[in-house]
Amino acid sequence: MMTANLLPADVYREIEEFVYREARLADESRYGEWEELVDDDMMYWVPRGEGDFDMEKHVSVIADNRNRLRRRIKQLQTGARYAQVPVSPMRRLVSNIEAKPIADDEFNVQCNFVLYELRIQSTNNIEIWPGRIEYKLRRSEGGLKMFLKKVMLVNGDMPLPSLAFLL
Amino acid sequence: MTSFASLIEPDRIHGSLYTDAAIFSREMKVIFRDGWAFVGHESEIPEPGDYITRTIGSEPVLFLRNKDGEVRVFSNRCTHRGNRLCHEGRGKLRGGIMCTYHGWAFSFDGDLLAVPYEGGFTKAKENYSLRQPKMASHRGFVFATYNPDPEDFYDYLGYGKDLIDKSVSMSPVGKIRLDSGWVKHLFKANWKMLPENQTDGYHANHVHKSFLKVFSSQYDELKTNEEKRVGSVVDWGNGHASIEVSERYDGPLQWLGSNEERYPEYVKAMNEAYGENEARKLMTEGPPHAYIFPNLFLGEANIVIIEPVAPDLSVQHHSPMLLEGVPEGLNARIIRQSEGALGPSGLLLADDSVISEQQQIALQGKSGWLEISRGVDRERLEDGKRIGHVSDETTNRGFWQHYLAKMNRSSVETPVEPELV
Ligand code: FES
Ligand SMILES: [Fe+2]
Repeated sequence: MMTANLLPADVYREIEEFVYREARLADESRYGEWEELVDDDMMYWVPRGEGDFDMEKHVSVIADNRNRLRRRIKQLQTGARYAQVPVSPMRRLVSNIEAKPIADDEFNVQCNFVLYELRIQSTNNIEIWPGRIEYKLRRSEGGLKMFLKKVMLVNGDMPLPSLAFLL
Repeated sequence: MTSFASLIEPDRIHGSLYTDAAIFSREMKVIFRDGWAFVGHESEIPEPGDYITRTIGSEPVLFLRNKDGEVRVFSNRCTHRGNRLCHEGRGKLRGGIMCTYHGWAFSFDGDLLAVPYEGGFTKAKENYSLRQPKMASHRGFVFATYNPDPEDFYDYLGYGKDLIDKSVSMSPVGKIRLDSGWVKHLFKANWKMLPENQTDGYHANHVHKSFLKVFSSQYDELKTNEEKRVGSVVDWGNGHASIEVSERYDGPLQWLGSNEERYPEYVKAMNEAYGENEARKLMTEGPPHAYIFPNLFLGEANIVIIEPVAPDLSVQHHSPMLLEGVPEGLNARIIRQSEGALGPSGLLLADDSVISEQQQIALQGKSGWLEISRGVDRERLEDGKRIGHVSDETTNRGFWQHYLAKMNRSSVETPVEPELV
């Protein structure tokens, strides 16, 4: 039954708030604040396409564990990550949010997005990045945190230009 | 009429080589159709009917395994009215190759087997086989050429043979496997910038400063000053070039950011296969960082294909070089290493591609001459190889001299003659 798994409105609202905030911080390349939304067992995964494959046997665009993600962010923060100097002006629309509980205080959240990126460091073209996101969120003292962000780009198995910012 | 010799001097090259459309189409013919180019690795199509679609220059091709288990390369184009036969990047065919337009059917050897409504087509089917370039392979690396009378394959490969052998010898059974997929990285830049950058040892501590600040890795050596840098660059002839990075390492598996304690089964298998001394040397030096003219790059733990699309558009494909006969944990590590370095989000390559794009933008104007003289007075010759300081442009000069030798048979403005084959 649909209603069996339906989250209370205030929980859904809280999740929605998380998703929008995460999107805005990524848009504005506010890496430090974005990282505060990340839990210790985070996996940040951008597979090729839908990623219906075993990560241990197949190559991805990004398959960062917490440690590599930490360094990816530090690298951006050096100010010398030339692929993002200056940072791309970006805005993304997020919609079609579906959320369901997976354990006590843990949620699986899926949504669609379209991201517009101005490639200000090179071509000055607007790049369009459409796709679907799957999050796994956990409620802890500081509020919701993510321990999975899987970004399934519609064109994720096609040639992609430099993608050094956070999707 | 401009000749290539007037655009390529020993220590400088003209910017129009990266932007001119006539030069690009000339390259597609002279270098990619008439010369040997890399198509794929046999391990990508393990079973009969398995196929991959690729390009050789601008020619779409089908890389396929036939019923007898032999690999084949065909133009991916129906001999009726030119429809593309296979549309997807990879797949499995059953029985034969069927054109989606009018249903002509071809065997896995390219023979035309049947045409629907035979009555109206009276010509001999034998003359309508799929176009098949000449093919040759070394250690599973398959190359092809559309030249009916090509250069001898091993003459073309030259020292590239040893470089491929060295990559493959990272496996205790001498076999690699490219079955973990390909990441495709778009460069809005000319294809020649990719090999030039891959074998450029000068940019690393500058372009990759952010990486070096954050990651301690085998690349730490790059932070030292000019006198203390170890390694070298080598022009192997035939346009092949490498950066020799092995001197950075003093123990097995450091090239993978690891060590021998973590992979005892691998060490044991390597010792048994090659003997302890040779195995230790192989595991310490790691796989080469070498470019094989025109479109293959042995990128340490990756196999990389350079695909030219247009004068200002290229794709760099990479697949982790997985090893046969090793514990799967080691291959998983190679996959993670690969994602860390290469591709659109690579901690290294995301920056390189943006630099290439900036070069391409800047060269659109009246670009004039680009300088590649660095180290011209301090390189040395050894067994037909030219060896330079790790930061020197020896590799770039080698690339361009070979390019010139290939191209100077033609003048830039000679139209590409249609081939009525
Ligand atoms: S184009 Fe292939 S059958 Fe007609
Ligand atoms: Fe680089």
